[in-house]
Amino acid sequence: MHLPSVLVAGLDFSTLPQQVVNGILLGAIYALIALGYTMVYGVLKLINFAHGEVFMLGAYTALFVSWGLGYKPTDNPTGSSPFNLLLMLLASMLVCAVIGVLIERFAYRPMRSQARIASLITAIGMSLFLQYGGQLVLPNSPPQNIAGKINPYQGNIAIPLRGKNADLVAQAAKAKPAFDQAQAAFQEDLKHEKSEFDLTPQGQALSDAAHKAERTYNDLQNKADASGLQVNLPQGQMIMLVTTLVLMGLLTYLVMYTKRGRAMRAVSHDFDSAALMGVNVNSIVTFTFILGSSLAGAGAMMNATFLTGTKIDTFFGMLPGVKAFVAAVLGGIGNIPGAVLGGLLMGVAETLVVWAGYSSYRDAIAFVILIVVLLFRPGGLMGSSKVEKV
Amino acid sequence: MTKEYFSIKLGVAALALGMIAASGCGDKPADPGTTTTTTTGTTATNTDKPAGDAPAGERKAPPVDGPKVADGEDIKISAIGSLTGDQKPWGTDSLDGANMALEDFNKQGGIPGHKIVILPGDSASKPEQAQTAAEKAIADGAIAIVGEVASGHTIQIAKSAFPKGIPVVAVGATKTTLTNEGTNVFRVCYTDDVQGPVMAKFAYDKLGLRKMAMMTDNKQPYSQGLSASFAAAFKKFGGEIVDEQKYESGNTQFSGQITQLAAKQPDGMFLSGYFTEVGPIAQAARQAGLSKVKFLGGDGWDSPSLLTSGGDAIIGSYFCNHYNNADDRPQVKTFEEEYKAKHDGKLPGTTMAALGYDAMMLTLQRLKAAKSLSSKDLIASLEDTTDYKGITGDITLKGMNGNPPKRAIVVEVAKPDAQGQWQKFATAYTPDQVK
Repeated sequence: MHLPSVLVAGLDFSTLPQQVVNGILLGAIYALIALGYTMVYGVLKLINFAHGEVFMLGAYTALFVSWGLGYKPTDNPTGSSPFNLLLMLLASMLVCAVIGVLIERFAYRPMRSQARIASLITAIGMSLFLQYGGQLVLPNSPPQNIAGKINPYQGNIAIPLRGKNADLVAQAAKAKPAFDQAQAAFQEDLKHEKSEFDLTPQGQALSDAAHKAERTYNDLQNKADASGLQVNLPQGQMIMLVTTLVLMGLLTYLVMYTKRGRAMRAVSHDFDSAALMGVNVNSIVTFTFILGSSLAGAGAMMNATFLTGTKIDTFFGMLPGVKAFVAAVLGGIGNIPGAVLGGLLMGVAETLVVWAGYSSYRDAIAFVILIVVLLFRPGGLMGSSKVEKV
Repeated sequence: MTKEYFSIKLGVAALALGMIAASGCGDKPADPGTTTTTTTGTTATNTDKPAGDAPAGERKAPPVDGPKVADGEDIKISAIGSLTGDQKPWGTDSLDGANMALEDFNKQGGIPGHKIVILPGDSASKPEQAQTAAEKAIADGAIAIVGEVASGHTIQIAKSAFPKGIPVVAVGATKTTLTNEGTNVFRVCYTDDVQGPVMAKFAYDKLGLRKMAMMTDNKQPYSQGLSASFAAAFKKFGGEIVDEQKYESGNTQFSGQITQLAAKQPDGMFLSGYFTEVGPIAQAARQAGLSKVKFLGGDGWDSPSLLTSGGDAIIGSYFCNHYNNADDRPQVKTFEEEYKAKHDGKLPGTTMAALGYDAMMLTLQRLKAAKSLSSKDLIASLEDTTDYKGITGDITLKGMNGNPPKRAIVVEVAKPDAQGQWQKFATAYTPDQVK
């Protein structure tokens, strides 16, 4: 059995800190979507499969707003400001809230008195309707993306964990003049050549020499870089993580400590009794959909903007939707901090699979986790698993 | 079992159902673009077997003779492309090219006594739709089919056409084993056995790269095959493949793979997937601090939307293509003038317009040269093609098993100029140069 040695041999512990950070940042998106799933499930006991499509429509809204702000592919804008991002965020949240309410009003409410499976099938139908119906009206082929320039928060915050070896850095610096010289000689020669890739024998020799010097220099520099250890935090994605945590806090406050939150919990506990106690069930359900969908909108806008170049098509929400659903179940569906915890754990699990050298199984891990959770802790990590007395 | 568990399980079941439904409806074409399966070599970390066709064997002749065109009847030729779905830009371009070819052919005299009609077919970016389109075309009396761009679609067309004895001229399908379907299958583009080695040679010789890392799209046989053929050639030339990471079409986050790959400190990255993911991968790599790494890829990059998805990161990268708008061959110049006149002064966005033109023009000219206006004689006549001067290069099919030995060019991704041209010619290779 050679598996263990293979497992250990593939691991590179120097990348572990960065991978954990990557995982947490990735998880922030899942967490935002999972919050929406969890809210709706908590109140209606309905798994809103169209939630991923609301997310998709949020991304399209952000795209259209960015076009409106002058960031079309054909435009050539310079710079941007946080104001643009805020505008996109608000528009996405607003549009998603409206769509969420419409879906609830016209697709789920008529089904509410029927068996639960009917709502579930309706939800799947809604999801497919938005995916394929969207193709008729949304710019889908080729997939679009939001111009990276609209994001003023480019670049990384680098946190050094271990300094570079000074000797190696000095060695690399020493090799630089030779590289510069070879490069300059080739550039000089290039002026007399037809093109960079159609060289005279003399030019070819200079080009080879320049490449060789470059490799020597790069090798030394790589060695120097490898002697240090640092963690890069992409600025945009940090904003995403902070927003997620803030929204989680707000939601928890809203549900646990406000009057409306108490009404929500009452509706969640028992529809009919809550109605008898004077709670307007329909307005509470609508409110839940507004909250959940606008969170999806926020997540979509940040995903499409901060992960530059992300392609937006009508299937944009499918995979994140599925993963967020798993995250919600993992954390304990119906539980707000649980959804965030589940999302972050999912993100970390995914990057750790890649870290271990199994990038082919990155997307499969979600379902492995789902199966394990359902088998051993069906209530989720933070969910209650009390046995109901009937 | 409590109510809550039950509904979660119900949800999971429904989720599975939903996913089956979604994949059944073909949310992603199983096989967009030019799909590859090469049998040359495997990569260092690649445990996948090249997905499989039988090795190149004897090409069988169709069992029956196809239809004939009677005196005075219209000549019907089908042109199939993805007019809807993900690959719409490639489909519309290839049909545009085909229509232009017919117009030109008619201007040159056409075939006296007959009107030529193109029957357009939509493969909707799905293999099964390609098959339906082919069967409809055959039922409607087409004597030849021109298409498709994607190999997965073209195979379906070839399978439908073979038992009926109808010739198929593929536009941009590069999958190496495609023409093994029968002696009725031809193409006007190079195969993946050419473009992998071309990029490997270019990386090794011209860019001086020695340590390459690869990102492969696990969902696309094209990407897997191209990565394998690149890796085999690059190692043969003396280079090293330091890492291969996998992703899937539709992924948006690549930071995990990039971090692993960056730790191996490559000089360059070979991105064998489609433009939809290549752009974000390039941006993620730059963001992760791989500031000097060169990006290389295959003809799956050929779409202007690469520029928006890749941003500044993708500028200065290289990929393999079929021809270039800046080519100074007279055929290219004439084609461009004509295209511009019909499209508000714009040049074609992808190379599929020129390949579509070549495929249709070749078919028409060989039909004119055939002994009679029948599918059978057209097949014989196509097989006889020697040194046809196409826009995308010279095409010889005689004794080539339907695969013309064409040169492949390497282009650099540049900022678009006033004309919208973003592919800068770097160099060209003939298949013999990369053997």
